[in-house]
Amino acid sequence: MELLKIDHLSKRYRSFELKDVSFSLEAGYIMGFIGPNGAGKTTTLKCMLGLTAKDGGSVELFGTDFFASERDAKQKIGVSLGGVDFYSKTKIKTITSVVRRFYENWDEELYQSYIKRFDIDESKRPAELSDGMRIKYSLALSMSHHATLLILDEPTSGLDPVARDDLLTLFQELIEPGEVSILFSTHITSDLEKCADFITYIENGKIVASRDKDGFLESYRIVKGTAAQLPGIQSRLISTKENAFGFSGMIKTTDLTEHDTVTVEKPTLDDIMIYHARKESRHA
Amino acid sequence: MRNLLRKEFSLVINPYYFLFMLFGVLLLIPHWVFFIAPMYLIFIALPNIIQSAKAQKDTEFTMLLPIRKSDAVSARVLAFAILEVAQIAVIAVFAALNIALYHSPNFFIDTNVAYIGCVFVMYGVFNIVFFPMHYKTGYKLAIPLIVAITAIMLFAGAIEVMVVTVPAVTRVLDGISKTALVSQIPVLLCGIAVFALLTWISIRISIKRFSKVNL
Repeated sequence: MELLKIDHLSKRYRSFELKDVSFSLEAGYIMGFIGPNGAGKTTTLKCMLGLTAKDGGSVELFGTDFFASERDAKQKIGVSLGGVDFYSKTKIKTITSVVRRFYENWDEELYQSYIKRFDIDESKRPAELSDGMRIKYSLALSMSHHATLLILDEPTSGLDPVARDDLLTLFQELIEPGEVSILFSTHITSDLEKCADFITYIENGKIVASRDKDGFLESYRIVKGTAAQLPGIQSRLISTKENAFGFSGMIKTTDLTEHDTVTVEKPTLDDIMIYHARKESRHA
Repeated sequence: MRNLLRKEFSLVINPYYFLFMLFGVLLLIPHWVFFIAPMYLIFIALPNIIQSAKAQKDTEFTMLLPIRKSDAVSARVLAFAILEVAQIAVIAVFAALNIALYHSPNFFIDTNVAYIGCVFVMYGVFNIVFFPMHYKTGYKLAIPLIVAITAIMLFAGAIEVMVVTVPAVTRVLDGISKTALVSQIPVLLCGIAVFALLTWISIRISIKRFSKVNL
């Protein structure tokens, strides 16, 4: 079952445009939403949630138009857009007591288990927490009402490696029964290599690819060669880095031929982002 | 909506602001321009509450809750309308005390039932001017506040001047006798209706404007 379906979502600003963003997410998977800073990740999430008025396109959650049943849909999703930086001088206990009333399925026991797992002291105020702890509190707030879709913006940034690993394990636990899905934007791509099933890659307001992670990684190759080998392949490369010893570049796997004599390697998500970014800056 | 209003009064509006309603005691000043007393809510409490909500990033918090964007606007305007009605209730007590203590008419409008009706209209004027301007951005305060305060000052000033200079207005709005209630009770009822109508229109326009704001 499709939990989320975004179709031709668009938003125009004076200096930036979100163009025809489309992707979907089935139940039981983790989708990483990646792209360089300013690519449109947060704008997409905000348009999806109605925080920013969209100019076109549609957002379906659980098979119905999100904007036609906003309140019901929001009962079934958990949203965290970064750390808790609101009501920074109010006790966490007080903030939670306000939030919990809004959710029909709020599970106090589950919330307390997250508070314990994340080691959050409820008598503290957000201002007294580190950046990482604020993110953990935001996650505890967004995951305690049995949401079937979690929309998380940069949930792992600011967390130490142990906490990040713990969180990724928790994500895996959440999706295991096959009912919950997680869409999370991040620029820490190593997290996605550990846990994501799908990758949606956005660049300059446009979706470059939205597909299964392995297929996404397989669709690109890193090639390395000498300066003499470059002219033979350069027109097919997405972008290149040249150095004293030769060059390295990224190419679509389908553009590689048997006659290419360059060294071919599998890219990481980071490589794909970096080489795509180089292409953008070259075209700019 | 009940949850959102509860949120407004537990996180946004500090109970301390209810103390400002004691400015109603100013109605015990003999011979005064009594419209000034209910204005303190707008001069002091309202801008402070909105500034504090802005500093606490209340909009960012509220938008994460399972509500519609429009619900946040309705709750905020309604919360202020509740404060305004509470302020009028406090003022009504001191208005009655004024009449009971002094038994003599005021040079300007008396603290009578018609005065209470006019205060309702004054708050309605404030709501219809301030909130739609404020919700063009959801955060700008100064210009909407200056314009709305000017509007209520002009309204209150016009009533006070007319009570003194226009006999027909004096007959309807002024006086502390029991017979004056015949003309003043309809003024109060109309005042309440105008307040409710202006506040409702204010909410509709504010919602429409805030829906276009990019958060």
